[in-house]
Amino acid sequence: MNRILAIARNTFRETVRDKILYNLILFALVMIGSSLALGQLTLGNEDKVILDLGLGAISVFGLLIAIFIGIGLVYKELEKRTVYALLAKPVRRYELVLGKYLGLLWTLGVNLAVMTAGLALALGYTGRAPAGAYWRLLPAVGLIFLSLALATALALLFSTFSTPALAALFTFFLWVIGHFNADLRTFGELSGSPAVEALGRALYYVIPNFGNFNLIDGRGVLQTAGYARPIDPWAVAGAGAYALLFIAFLLALSVIIFARRDFK
Amino acid sequence: MKSGGGRHPGTRSGAVAALVLAALLVKPVQDFIDARAPAGEEPDLLFFNSPELVRKMALGFEPLLADLYWMRTIQYYGRRDDEGRRRESFENLHTLLDITTTLDPGLQDAYRAGSCFLSEPPPVGAGQPELALELLEKGARSHPLQWRLVYERGFVHYLYLKDYAAAGETWLEAARVPGAPEWLAGLAAMALSKGGAEEIAVSLWRRQYEEATSDAVRDNARNHLHSLQVKRDLAALRDRIERHRAATGSFPPSLGTPRDPMGTPYAYDPRSGRVDLDPASAVRCLDVP
Repeated sequence: MNRILAIARNTFRETVRDKILYNLILFALVMIGSSLALGQLTLGNEDKVILDLGLGAISVFGLLIAIFIGIGLVYKELEKRTVYALLAKPVRRYELVLGKYLGLLWTLGVNLAVMTAGLALALGYTGRAPAGAYWRLLPAVGLIFLSLALATALALLFSTFSTPALAALFTFFLWVIGHFNADLRTFGELSGSPAVEALGRALYYVIPNFGNFNLIDGRGVLQTAGYARPIDPWAVAGAGAYALLFIAFLLALSVIIFARRDFK
Repeated sequence: MKSGGGRHPGTRSGAVAALVLAALLVKPVQDFIDARAPAGEEPDLLFFNSPELVRKMALGFEPLLADLYWMRTIQYYGRRDDEGRRRESFENLHTLLDITTTLDPGLQDAYRAGSCFLSEPPPVGAGQPELALELLEKGARSHPLQWRLVYERGFVHYLYLKDYAAAGETWLEAARVPGAPEWLAGLAAMALSKGGAEEIAVSLWRRQYEEATSDAVRDNARNHLHSLQVKRDLAALRDRIERHRAATGSFPPSLGTPRDPMGTPYAYDPRSGRVDLDPASAVRCLDVP
């Protein structure tokens, strides 16, 4: 466990050296700037616009970080041949994969925390959000974190056997398709063919369902009279369990593939 | 040369000069392109007009996209007065509102202000009260406990479709929604009795003016209240002029200084006996019943 944590710590340091965290300053500025500009453009609901934009930006920025760092995690070690030095030490291959994954989650966590603080600041600037809205941000950001953790696991899996460009494409396309799972199932049902219906149903379960993490948006966070969409804790817990299961599966697959690789 | 990397003393100054020159030239070049762009009305195009398609393409960002579509709707409606780019119709207004409310059914401002944009006769609005009713019904399906959306429907029936019976029935329906104010039942009774049409109109616009959550809706209500006031004032003044002429055989030399709701005196010509709103008045006079 100590070795995994040591690799995670080093991965975190490595990603920070990649200057990824600089995007946070830009993000905070964009948030505050947009809160001023968009307040002029919309008709009512300024606070909801800030929340929707903020949560959307956290999600997009997070996805970019997850994909573009995730795809290089293992590939870079192979490319620079540092993997020989690492594996010459008493480090097992699965520890390397898990450590890399945890390190990137650490980076994502820090990024999300700073971006959430920026969003809370922008929200506070308007002075219109109810006091409870700040706490209600946490489950919303928590779900975004889970979806990013899943995307990271996908990126890591592809980086164990593919080039960074292909891994980025695979991860991005699976993220996109992962929003259409329900449509694939419905398409199968509408086709009238038992085989296509079975295929649609199988794909519904096999492809990671990113729609599971869209449970809370600006409406759920604000909870004003017009946006009374309560947060269902069981739905959030279900999404958490789903993410954990899928991540465990993807990491196990990554470990198996990485363990079988021949580095000669 | 400090090192063998190809550094040259003139390189840096050359790069700085190129940088400054390029930066200075961007604006004139952009202005040149803009000047050659075809002038006239912008095409009224909407590339994606299926709300369901847009919702599918949102990839989990539906609320954010709804906000953006709502802002676009406001810009689309608000830009009608741009000089030289005045739209003759609001062909895509309902589609934009439909997309906005499909992406985020919780956006109540879109139903309420949107129905106002759709109902108003041209050039102020789209002159499509039937579509406004459709939009409000869609809102009521998403928010069955919001009496306001039902009330707005009655408003459209009464003021734009002049269907007083339907307005009365709709307000009765709104009065039955839990939490609805007591005055709704009275309003319904007045509409169903078909009496005091102007009083109801004033009462409706005043309530909308007081309770509006957006400037556009409030301004529209104020313009209607002013227009109704001007209509009443002018009718009273013309009546007074006519009675004077009947009694004396000539128009009154002066009417005193009666003023419109924005404080500008009404324009009166004692030779022709004509009285009207002063062209310099700040009142935006609308066609009111």
